[in-house]
This record gives sequence, C-alpha cells and structure tokens, in this order.
Amino acid sequence: MDFMLSNEQSAWQATARKFAQEEIRPISLARDEIDDPRETFDWEIIKKGSRLGFRTMAVPKEWGGHGTDFVTQALVMAELAKADSAISKTFSQCWKWSHLIAATCTDEQKRRFLKPFLEDDTFLLGKGISEPGAGSDNRLPPADDPKAGLKLRAERHGDDWILNGEKCFIANASVGKLFFIDARTDPNAPLRQGTTMFLVPSDTPGFRIGKVFNKNGWRFYQNGEMIFENARVPHANVVGPVNGSDMKTQQAGDRTGGDLFGDLELAANALGVCDDACEMALTLARTTKQGGRHLFEQQMVQLKLNRMHLLTEALRSFVMRVAWEHDRKMHTANAGLCMNLSTDVIQEVTEINLDLHAGAGVLAPRADKLVRDAMIWSHLAGDSVQRMKVTRRLAR
Amino acid sequence: MYDLRLSPEQLEIRDTVRDFVAQEVKPPALDPTRLEAQTRPLLTGALDKAAQLGLRTLALSEEAGGAGADTLICCIVTEELAVGDPDIAAVLAQTSTLAPALFDRLMTPQQRERFLPAFLADDRYHLALAQHEPGRDATLGINYHRAETGDRSCKTTALRADDGWVINGRKERVANAPIARLFVVEVSTGTGGAGMLLVPSDTPGLRVTESGHGVRWQHGAYGDVELADCRVPLDNLLGAESQALLAEAGHRITQDAALNLGIGRAAYEAALDYAQLRVQGGRRIIEHQAIGAKLAEIAIRLEVARAATWQAAWVCDNPDAVAGRSLPDLPLASIAQVFASEAIYRAAKDAAECFGAMGVMRDMPLQQYVHDALVCLHSGAGTGEAKLRIAEALAGYRRPATAAALAAE
Repeated sequence: MDFMLSNEQSAWQATARKFAQEEIRPISLARDEIDDPRETFDWEIIKKGSRLGFRTMAVPKEWGGHGTDFVTQALVMAELAKADSAISKTFSQCWKWSHLIAATCTDEQKRRFLKPFLEDDTFLLGKGISEPGAGSDNRLPPADDPKAGLKLRAERHGDDWILNGEKCFIANASVGKLFFIDARTDPNAPLRQGTTMFLVPSDTPGFRIGKVFNKNGWRFYQNGEMIFENARVPHANVVGPVNGSDMKTQQAGDRTGGDLFGDLELAANALGVCDDACEMALTLARTTKQGGRHLFEQQMVQLKLNRMHLLTEALRSFVMRVAWEHDRKMHTANAGLCMNLSTDVIQEVTEINLDLHAGAGVLAPRADKLVRDAMIWSHLAGDSVQRMKVTRRLAR
Repeated sequence: MYDLRLSPEQLEIRDTVRDFVAQEVKPPALDPTRLEAQTRPLLTGALDKAAQLGLRTLALSEEAGGAGADTLICCIVTEELAVGDPDIAAVLAQTSTLAPALFDRLMTPQQRERFLPAFLADDRYHLALAQHEPGRDATLGINYHRAETGDRSCKTTALRADDGWVINGRKERVANAPIARLFVVEVSTGTGGAGMLLVPSDTPGLRVTESGHGVRWQHGAYGDVELADCRVPLDNLLGAESQALLAEAGHRITQDAALNLGIGRAAYEAALDYAQLRVQGGRRIIEHQAIGAKLAEIAIRLEVARAATWQAAWVCDNPDAVAGRSLPDLPLASIAQVFASEAIYRAAKDAAECFGAMGVMRDMPLQQYVHDALVCLHSGAGTGEAKLRIAEALAGYRRPATAAALAAE
C-alpha cells in the first residue's frame, strides 16, 4: 500500500487549495445569500477556475484536455468543496460529462463538441434525466410497470429527431451550452430498452430553459427546467445506439460504478465540506472562551470534535480508495457505498459543527450554510433509492 | 390510577384551534411567495384573530378575565398553532405564560388595577420578559458540577430618583420585544439587590431594535431592548417573590416542546399526504417499504415526544404527583424538550426526504420545517447544555453560591 501522492497530483492539489482559499471562499457566503436563484451564479469564478484547468481537467490528453486521473480529481474536488460545495459542483459537473463523452461519443462527436468545450471558458455541460413525474423510476425502473420513467418523447423525421416534453431539476440548465438528454424513443418498451441519449446544444431551436429552482442549499448551483417544443436534433447527435441510452453503465468501456464518476464526485465533495466543518469547529473550540476558559477544555466539546474528525477521516480513506480503484478500472459497488456513506457523514459532521457554534452562542451563517448544503445529499436522487441501487449491484 | 382521556372541553379547544389554524393560519403561512422569502414577517392578521379567540389570555385566571387553562391545555393549543406557524405559537405562548404569573400572582392589587384593564381590552397587548444581557454568560458548560465562575450579575441598573426608578442598560434577544406593550425588566437596584420592574413600551428612553442576526434562530418575534434613562414610577417594582417568575420558565419549556411537536406534525402530515399521492416504482410510495418504514419512524418519534411533553405538562399542573411518589423528581420538562427536539429534527428530515428534490425547494414548506426543527434543537444553549443540567439534577447537585453573591448578602 502506498498513500504517497505523485508530484503531479500534489501540484493539482496545491493549485486547487490556493484557488479555493483565495478566490472561491471569499465569495461563498455572499453568493449563497442572494435571494434570486438565477442571480447566485457568477461567471467570473467559473472563468478564473477554467483558466486553471478546473473545468476541463477530466478530458483525456489525446483530446486536448488535462487527462487527470481519478485520484487527482478526488483531491481537487475536496479542496474546492472545502471553500464552497456548490461552486465546486458546477466545475465537477463538467468532469462527469467529460467522462461520458470520452466513454460513449464517436470520434466525430468528440471533434464537434470537445473542441468548443475546451476552448471556451464559459462552456458548461449538463445532463437531463429527471422529469416531473419520473425521478426514482429512472433509477430503479419497476419491473411491474414498464411504462414508468421519463416521458420526454423523441420521434425520427428523416435525418432529425423531434423532441417534445419537459425535464426538471437539471443541473447547469440555465448556464450550460451542451446537454445530454435522455428521451423515450420507443414508448412501448420499458425504460432501459426504449430510451435514447441525445446531445442537445443550448441553442437548439424549440428548446428553452424554464424556471431555475430555488433550493435551500447548493444555492450557487443552477438546477432548472428544460422545455422541448418540437426541438429539432440531428441524428448525428444520437449518443450510442438508438434505444440504448443505458450504455453508459451497460456497455461503456470504462465502467466506474454508478454514474461514471458521479458517486466519487459527490463523496469527494462531501469530504471537502467536512474538512471545512472540522476546521471551523476546532478553531471555535480553541479560540472561544466561556467562563474564562476555552471551549476545548470541555469533555462534551472534545467528544463532539472527535466524532467529526473520525467520520471525516474514515470518509477520506474510503474516497481515496474508490478513486484508486477507478484508476485501475476495478468495477465494484464501492463508489456507490462511499456516496451513501458520504450522505450520512456530511450531515452529521455539519450538524455537530452548527451545534458547537450555537451552543457557544456564536451565530455563524457559514455553519448554517454547510448544514443546508449537506441536506442536498439526501435529495439528489431519492436517498433510499440510491442505497437500494447500490445494494442490488452488490447482489449481481 | 392512570388516565389520559381529554375532557370534552379540552377536546373542543383542540378542535377549535385546529380548525382555526387550517382556515386562518395555514393559507397565509404556506403562500409560496412567503416561503421563498429570506425574511418571514409575523402574520399579524392571523395573530390578532388568534387573540380574539382568547388564545392570548388562555392561561390567565377566569377571575382576572382569562380562560384559566392549565399547562396541558396550553401545550395542546401551542402544538396546534405551531402546525400552522411556529412564530404565532411562540408569541402567544410567551404572552399567555407571562400573563398569569404577572396578573394572578406577582402584581399588587394597585398594579393590577393599572395594567390589567388595558391588557384585557387590547388584542394586540403582548407581554415580554427582558432578562438576557450581552456578555452575561448564562450557560452551564465548563461550570458543570462546579461552583460558577465569572460575573453573572445583572448590568442593567435601576436607581431611585425622587418619585421613581431610572433604568439604564441593554437586553438582548427578548421574546415578543417588537410587539410587547409591557416589559418586565430584570434590573439591579444598587447594592447588589436584583428586582423586576414593569416598563410600558411607550416609556421614553425605551427602544426596541432588531436582533442583529441574518438567519432566524428563534421562533416568535425577538428584539433587543435599549433602556436609556427610562423613568418609571416607584410602584412599578414587582414584589420580592418576582424571581418566581423565572420559575415560570419551567412552564415555558413544556410550551417549547409542544411548539416543536407542532412543527413535527406539520412535516409528518405533509409527508403522509404526499406518500399516498406520489406514484413511483409502479405504486404509491407509501406502499414501498423504504418510505413506509420512514413514515412509521416519524410517527413513533412524534408519539413518544408527545407522551413525554404531556407528562411534563401534567406534572406542572399536579406537582403533588412528585411528592406522592407517582412521578420521579426530575426535570421532566427538560427531558421532554431534549427528546422532542432531537427526535423531531430527525423526523422533519425524514419527512422532507419523502419529497425527493422538492424537499429542499424554498417554495415548498418541507425545507422550512427542517429549519424550524433545527431552531428548536438549538434553542437556549442547545441540548448539550440541557443534558448537563439534567445530569446535575440526577446527582442532586446543589450549586454553591458564588463569591459575588455571598459578598452581596
């Protein structure tokens, strides 16, 4: 076993740490406090981060990206998330779909879409799955209800497909330039056999963004509605086989569990938030006095700090192991389990941090923000559904 | 003998308040525009209507013009109100708790004559108790099982001048401050003595400011109170036993637990409704084990928390049950409050989870229930502090007087 980082990994980590501390952290709370969910976003931080490579770091070298390994991605994710979970998620959403492009797109599609993605600091990616009537059904399609799941319809007309329907909660919807869209191409087949994935640029005629959802956490991160009214997409934008959108987990060459990086991404993000909470709590305990003595002297405070740190360090070990396994193309349920664990850990750790601050009479808005951001983990895709999905993978 | 049946009167009060909340409180409280806003102004219209129902004077004795409700009924009413809006519940609980302490017990007949008629006549006449001061550290913390260190004396002073008291000082986080017509202000009266002064809100020199916190960390209407050369008549001093007013805080603890129950019930009712409507996985989500078990756990937490809260309320009304060895001599109100706040935070999170992504959206109430439950969890100095106080009670610990207090005697 070797826990040493390579020079390249350490360099990425150091750059991320500096950028997070100097650029992200100073705007984190102010962005969170903006009322209008469309206005929380800030292009300047995206451009700055993009210039350092944090938008495109997951694109393979042969296609002009940085080709970082998963260990590096996990390290960078944790550093950025320590400053702001939602801002860092906006960057890593691009890594997630960079992996998907690398794994599933044809060379022609890569040429057409990766080049502009790499060149443009404001080019963000997204993927539309959820719909108002179909959330968990897309993740655990019920065997006894073959019609369940997404309803967005795509019909072939010559060289084009015509898309009609609606998506909701879609990440980067209001700021993205290119989206993967899952659409039903055979309404009579079950979800897995009747769905096709399309590449849909944001300027596609007949495609527009509706409202941006007003979340209580991850406020910087944009989740929006997508509306398709006879949106016309060329057949050349079909990803993989028609009626085979599930290829990302079934046939893709690099199967890294769950959603191709998505699980590791979330767990590493949670780790960064936990690091922030631990640091806040320890600083509070060592600097705040009560009755003339530091909070740290109290046994109950020590026990709470112990709990925060043991959970955080256990999560770190698991996150780095999963990243290491991904780099070796080991296909296990560990990424999913690690994401499930991260949900429990981020919530408990941020709650203890808030409890310590409130108990000391210190009203720290950042402690509250971390708790609100942590809540998001239970609501990303149905917490129990996520856990059962991973369990079913174990039993395969 | 063990009897948990509510009387027809108690049931009627509960049903009346439940109907009132459904018709008058929930519609404005659940308005999406209000839910989305960062600030949550007090629903004064609904508050006034609740006062007209008699909920402001609920616990005041019938002789004084109130309904003479006991602590258990007050808990039932507070829970029902908090299902609709915790702020209205908190404001009314505060006025309703202070009213009997002041008008029935602490005021002299002359004082009652001066203040009671106005209190009864005006539905917007609320009461406030101004105790907490900046820098005056009231938490137990490091002083657990030890004599207190540090200066905890009251820094707000009242000096005698001619025909009255002149008050100077500052109080923080005073419940009901923005709407109170009458403040009870804890002061030190010169040579180490402490007292409670009645200070009407229109006294020159009294100024209420917003408590300077962005995020709401209390239920109800809070504010800071500045007192600059405030003059009140000599007769505004409450009797020596006015410290007993502090003991009323014990009654308020049960109200806080009841308020917490109301928040939990609102979350539970929303989740139960939704789980019977939302179809995923080919069936209503309540028919899935994962959601069914979650709802069961929410119900378990709520029922156990209510049992503990009602027991604590009942013992407030029947203190002889402790002397008669029917119930243990323990801080049952704190025990109920700690259990309720931990259980209901968990329950509110679980309820929100049933809603998937909608559980964190600001135009939906679930995220607000979670936040409101979190506020209860951290009310006062938090559950950790409450547990230390309970532990001292278990050990029968009696705190020795501080050097400062001894010197003053």
